[in-house]
Amino acid sequence: MLTVEHLTKTFSNGKGIFDVSFAVKEGEVFGFLGPNGAGKSTMIRHIMGFMKPDKGYVKINGLDTWKEQGKVQTYVGYLPGEISFFDGMTGKTFLDFMANMQGMKDLGKRTSLIDRLQFDIHTPIRKMSKGMKQKVGIVATFMHDPAVIILDEPTSGLDPLMQKVFIEIVLEEKYRGKTFLMSSHSFPEIERTCDRAAIIKDGVIIAVKDIHELQSMQRKLFEVTFEHPTDVLSFLDSGLLIESHEGNRVRVAVQGNYDKFVEETAKYKIRNIDIFTQNLEDIFMNYYDREGTIS
Amino acid sequence: MNVTLYKQMMKVYMKSFMNYAFGSAFYIILMFWLYPSIANNTKAIDELVASMPEGVGKAFGLNGFGSAEAFISGEYYGLILVLILAIVCVQLSTQLMAKLVDQGSMAYLLSTPTTRGKVAFTQASVLTTGLFLIMAVTSIAGFAGNAWFLGDQYEFDTSRFIQMNMAAFLLFFALGGICFLVSALSNDEKKALSISGMITFGFFSLDLLGKISEKIEWMKYISIFTLYKPGDIVNGHGNWVVTSISLSLIGLASFSLAIVLFRKRDLPL
Repeated sequence: MLTVEHLTKTFSNGKGIFDVSFAVKEGEVFGFLGPNGAGKSTMIRHIMGFMKPDKGYVKINGLDTWKEQGKVQTYVGYLPGEISFFDGMTGKTFLDFMANMQGMKDLGKRTSLIDRLQFDIHTPIRKMSKGMKQKVGIVATFMHDPAVIILDEPTSGLDPLMQKVFIEIVLEEKYRGKTFLMSSHSFPEIERTCDRAAIIKDGVIIAVKDIHELQSMQRKLFEVTFEHPTDVLSFLDSGLLIESHEGNRVRVAVQGNYDKFVEETAKYKIRNIDIFTQNLEDIFMNYYDREGTIS
Repeated sequence: MNVTLYKQMMKVYMKSFMNYAFGSAFYIILMFWLYPSIANNTKAIDELVASMPEGVGKAFGLNGFGSAEAFISGEYYGLILVLILAIVCVQLSTQLMAKLVDQGSMAYLLSTPTTRGKVAFTQASVLTTGLFLIMAVTSIAGFAGNAWFLGDQYEFDTSRFIQMNMAAFLLFFALGGICFLVSALSNDEKKALSISGMITFGFFSLDLLGKISEKIEWMKYISIFTLYKPGDIVNGHGNWVVTSISLSLIGLASFSLAIVLFRKRDLPL
């Protein structure tokens, strides 16, 4: 459904994307995972035909996205990373305008999306909060029922409840056979929706993995607080990877070996366990260390 | 051409077109209202103009006050109208292209089944329509002012007045094309605005300086304002057809180049 072949683009500052190839099957949800500045947006710009590749091509439904502008977009719904609309429009006038641009007749889907996302379409866009703008953008992306949906950081700005609603919408569309490509720098977002994901660093895809594989590669940091400071010493010898310890608190890095971690901690009296949110580099630290040097 | 986009853009910009158009119409009517009192003192004023350094009179197109269109050509088409439309060209061309790219709303336009060529062509049409509307309202106001204040008592050459208006429209079609080209190639709204502002007022000043002193007369030939001489048109001098064709060609070439280059360039959306 969506094919990227040897896509290369070098910018004048030496950054860019280099020889990227992958394919997304119909009905699949594919994630782009990478820290800020890794090249996710550049790839999406090429997929949307906003930039001309130095080498290679992107095809959606067999149509080259750079050469066949004007035809490809019929199949595509796009949610830009940064939402900005035209001046002096309300949510409704913007959606009406987009519906006309798409040549849409049936507004049923749009109405049901507006109901689900719960927002007032008569608010002028410049008065909207970031989350509300994001909702308008989401409606504009899905309302013409496209076959391929490209999402750039889709849940940024949404509150947890709406993130859940959004994920439900994505999963429903997926069951209806829609193809997705979404970029994110947050693993949980990808984890809940994607079948496969590509990890990107410095413009190179360093791995395309099944989401379950990625989950097992993921490194988590737990901070365990022991009841008795004396237990800390024997815990340190348990063979787990200890990041740091201070007083009766110990930070443990766990990657796949949850069993062992539970087993070891269960031996002692524990006061508290915290899990740390980490950035993407930390989550896949081992992976970046090993494979990142290729680039 | 994308009709939906054209309608939307016209809706957004109609108000400012009308503001400029009515501002301009008001001013030209004011000029017609003033003319009778000046016409009765033509001699004194001509003497006053003659007493000024020669260059100054030429630079501002002061053109004698013998006929209504000569007076208007000097007092209005020579300076005020040029300033108003220059501002419209610079601002509007920037807003129609560079601003949409800078803000990112161009991404929405290009994610719908339309081509970049069509988007650029539509935006160019909006700019041209705006300039045309302002000139049309100004011309109509000119005729109204003539009928209202001058009647049959004063001389007024209708066909030369129309020629002058067409020449003004074509000048700004050409200038608008150049500004549009700058805008279509810019990713940054402020940069586009300052570059086309510099070009426009650069042209304007070169023309002005070239006219003031004969020593630096060459300066005015760099400027497209040289192709616009309202004074010559009302006096029947100069080659109106040639300058009009040149201005049209400059405009068409700039707009076409803008559309072609916009289709090929990378957009940071």
